[in-house]
Amino acid sequence: MARVLDTPTPSTPPPPARSLRQTPWVRWGAPLLLVAALAVLPLVGTESFNDTLARIGVFAVAVLGLNVVMGYTGQVSLGQIFFLGLGAYVTAYGVQQGWNVVLVFVLACLLPAVAGLLVALAAARLGGLAIAMVTIALPIVGVPLAKRLSEFTGGSQGLSARFTDAPEGSGLYDDQFQLYLVLGIGGVVFLLTACLVRGKYGRAFAIVKDNENVASSMGISPYRYKVLAFTIASLIGGVSGFLYMVVVQYTSPETMSFGHSIELLVAMVIGGAGSIAGSLLGGVFYVVVPDLTNAVDPSLTSLLQGALLLLVLFLLPGGLVSLPRALARRLRRSPAGRGSAAPPTPPSSTPGSATAAERPQTERQGHA
Amino acid sequence: MAGGLTLQDVSLRFGGVTVLQDVGFAVEPGQILGLVGPNGAGKTSLFNCISGHYRPTSGRVLIDGAEVQGARPATLAKHGLARTFQHPALQLRATVLENVLLGAHTRLPGGALEWAFRTPRTRRAERELRAEALALLERNGLGWAAHLPADELSHGLHKGVELCRALLMRPSLLLLDEPAAGLSHGEVEQLITTVRRLRTDDDITVVVVEHHMGLIAALTDRVVVLDHGAKLMEGTAAEAQSDPRVIEAYIGKDAAADDAA
Amino acid sequence: MNGHVRSRRTLGIAVASALAVTLSACGGATDAGRGGDTAEGAPSPGITDDSVTLGITTPLSGSTAGPGTCTVAGVRAYFGMRNAEGGIEFGDGQTRTVEIEALDDTYDPQQAAANYDQLKNEVFAMTAGLGTPTNRAWRDAAIADEVPQALIMTGDPIFSDTEQSPWQLGFVPIYQNEGEAFGELLAASGQQHRVAILSQNDDYGEGYVEGFKAAVEGADNIEIVDELTYEATDTSVDAQITELANSGADVIFNAMSLVPLVVGALQKAQQLGWTPSWFLPSNTSSPGAVLEPGGGGAFPGIYSVSFAKAPASPAFAEDEDVQTYLSALAEYGDYPEPPAFPHCQWSWMVGATLEQAFTQMEEPTRDSFMEALRGIQGYEAPLMLPGTSVDTTQDGQPAVSSVVVQKYNGRGYDTVESFG
Repeated sequence: MARVLDTPTPSTPPPPARSLRQTPWVRWGAPLLLVAALAVLPLVGTESFNDTLARIGVFAVAVLGLNVVMGYTGQVSLGQIFFLGLGAYVTAYGVQQGWNVVLVFVLACLLPAVAGLLVALAAARLGGLAIAMVTIALPIVGVPLAKRLSEFTGGSQGLSARFTDAPEGSGLYDDQFQLYLVLGIGGVVFLLTACLVRGKYGRAFAIVKDNENVASSMGISPYRYKVLAFTIASLIGGVSGFLYMVVVQYTSPETMSFGHSIELLVAMVIGGAGSIAGSLLGGVFYVVVPDLTNAVDPSLTSLLQGALLLLVLFLLPGGLVSLPRALARRLRRSPAGRGSAAPPTPPSSTPGSATAAERPQTERQGHA
Repeated sequence: MAGGLTLQDVSLRFGGVTVLQDVGFAVEPGQILGLVGPNGAGKTSLFNCISGHYRPTSGRVLIDGAEVQGARPATLAKHGLARTFQHPALQLRATVLENVLLGAHTRLPGGALEWAFRTPRTRRAERELRAEALALLERNGLGWAAHLPADELSHGLHKGVELCRALLMRPSLLLLDEPAAGLSHGEVEQLITTVRRLRTDDDITVVVVEHHMGLIAALTDRVVVLDHGAKLMEGTAAEAQSDPRVIEAYIGKDAAADDAA
Repeated sequence: MNGHVRSRRTLGIAVASALAVTLSACGGATDAGRGGDTAEGAPSPGITDDSVTLGITTPLSGSTAGPGTCTVAGVRAYFGMRNAEGGIEFGDGQTRTVEIEALDDTYDPQQAAANYDQLKNEVFAMTAGLGTPTNRAWRDAAIADEVPQALIMTGDPIFSDTEQSPWQLGFVPIYQNEGEAFGELLAASGQQHRVAILSQNDDYGEGYVEGFKAAVEGADNIEIVDELTYEATDTSVDAQITELANSGADVIFNAMSLVPLVVGALQKAQQLGWTPSWFLPSNTSSPGAVLEPGGGGAFPGIYSVSFAKAPASPAFAEDEDVQTYLSALAEYGDYPEPPAFPHCQWSWMVGATLEQAFTQMEEPTRDSFMEALRGIQGYEAPLMLPGTSVDTTQDGQPAVSSVVVQKYNGRGYDTVESFG
């Protein structure tokens, strides 16, 4: 996932970190090691460790989807849980009908994506907070709808589908097999999304978030990219719904209740908006914190969670993902004051910077 | 690439307020046209009519003979129109290079799926345009800043970055909205060199809104003077500066402003 | 269904252990935490010679926290009292204290399943948890792991079906039981009745209506004149009440689960001058929360069903059961004020019923427990109303399937033998 700059950067000496990353050993070795570690992880973890990890995977994917539309593209979505729920229902229904699992997976991705597309086509035109308003309606409508369409959804009794018992002869426990599925599917989704939010589409999403006027002058239709981001978020939501069924194996109207949508949003902010690693941390937060507060005092879970939320937001407004940066800044600040405080200026003394000589030192600061 | 621009009787009204009244002029491909006038004369509104951010109430806008009034900005961008903004709108936390690369958007092939899978085609295109963006920054004296976050640069440099971003679009027609505002003297000199080179090297048609008369005089082939939303005169910069109507428009404004103060 | 093949797994472990050195912090022992294959007769997890631990996952926060908290408080109070008396003598001769481990699931099925995963190897049995989806979420897993899911609080019939749910047993009456009880009373009234039905458009409403219709089927004194539904998201049922009022019905069978809607319906009917006899489900018929604000006194009769004594009712103020219960609830259940939800009483009865099973189980195993649990008949648990009892031997029925119909008397409810 690490981005590697292929282009030479003639005028700046590359920082040492990048050159380390470009060493073939590190470039190929690090991902391989990561894959190997992930491949072994399910075999060495305890059952409850694996279960927890798998659930983290489910919600990390859901938060990732939310991040695409909200963190990266800046469109407030309060309906992400609806797409998770839809994906879960499609999966449960397909499995109960005895459809091929691959087909079920494809449908669990596509149907939420189509639903997301239709919603976005209508909502993105309205702009501003309208998207947020429309997306609020999704889980609010989704819950009674799921109860009503009991022919497909099992009504308020929900649907169970156990289709992820470890295959005979694999030598795996169920929890190991499920974790492999989550790691595999979730890993691919993370990788693809990480690629997408860099480069052409990442830049387009970012400018739609920051300044729609500039976006459109660059040939980027804000409307189209909002719709695209929302559709991708819905698709990823559908994937997380499939994974939900892999791990939880049961879905009901409560799965998509509005409160969970807010919790997903909180998890995204806590993890770090507009960050791939932040999505992962968001998943950890979503899953681990309720378990943790339960361990402390089951009757005070919401209070403790609220306190933790405030604590993180006060200390790390950028989310957990900004922790290393915040620490580094603190460390840099404390010993040797303002080493990097002055704004950078063109390096007139740097040899090889041809233009620098044309510009006298005094005029460089502009209106900084 | 051509880049000829023609405006015919363009009017713009917001409710009962007339912002522009029957403005018309033509810019030949490769020319540099200055758009001047006192504050509130309608220069930026006219700009927005050309770039598609506003839709003219009546009249026609033609780029290379094709009517484009009412087309969305994103569509116009694909037809070779680029613009900068009065207040440079950069993504402050992204690097300068990433900011400039935004201009490459319409030139990068491939859909979302291709980019998610990083197909060879998208990787090659990204690599090539990254190199081109760096070269462009180099050429405009900003190569040293390519990997810095934009918010570490001064206002003047932001304008340069924004120009590079517009240029990476390979426009045939470039609209510059007050490019000299807030620049130091030296930066203005640099800007003049850059824009001149756009015409000679890249054959880009430029329309520039500016108060800085020195820049207008040094750069433009012709100027159009706007006052109260209507065209006051059209001619060379020297003609405009000596035209009594223009002087009156400016002086009158200033005098009125002095009275009010 | 711990689908594992020893030899292959050993291979897996061999591969794993090569890299496990670097990852030792993540996992620990490869087999840790995977239960299941205990030898015949050996004690199940969660039980020792002097104590047994029960697990509960139930909503302790969120909108269902009120009843959810009660489901823990009652059972905790019951066993707190028993523990203080020295414990319970089990069928195998050992005397054990009973510990409760409760986790909050916020009525989220996913969290309930996670809580179950966390508890299943520490507790002997799961019990008392509230909610249909939250119990359904780990039903399959409990069957696969052979963990008892005993005496849970849901009206969903699946938990009482021995075939489908061998390790489960519901405690409270299913929706059908309630509807049926009222239907039987009405059919036996000896008078002609025109009945209007208004029910929630989901399996809750359907369950009630199904039970009611089954009971009045073939009774020629009952005519159903109009039948309407509403959505759980509706904010008013005024339109339905208006239509039903025009049907000329003298009885309304009203299966609604939402307190504000019931209050609104009662008020609307009075406004229209329509005062039929009114049936309400047990969870939306509270005198204080529903009938007083709704003006229940205006109707010739408001009927509901119950199987538990209401501690707030003056009729039971001197009742010994109720007094023991309230003081234990305050002392051991961390619930100082008289409970606003019947779930506290139900949960107390769950404790008493569990004790019945404990005293009968001959081995400290989950198997033996389930066997004992399914053998209770005619047990009148404390707080039970006369005419109701615990009977776990009937397939397809929850532990409590008998309810008595009660009629509102202006302050509380009295059990009635006949309609009118």
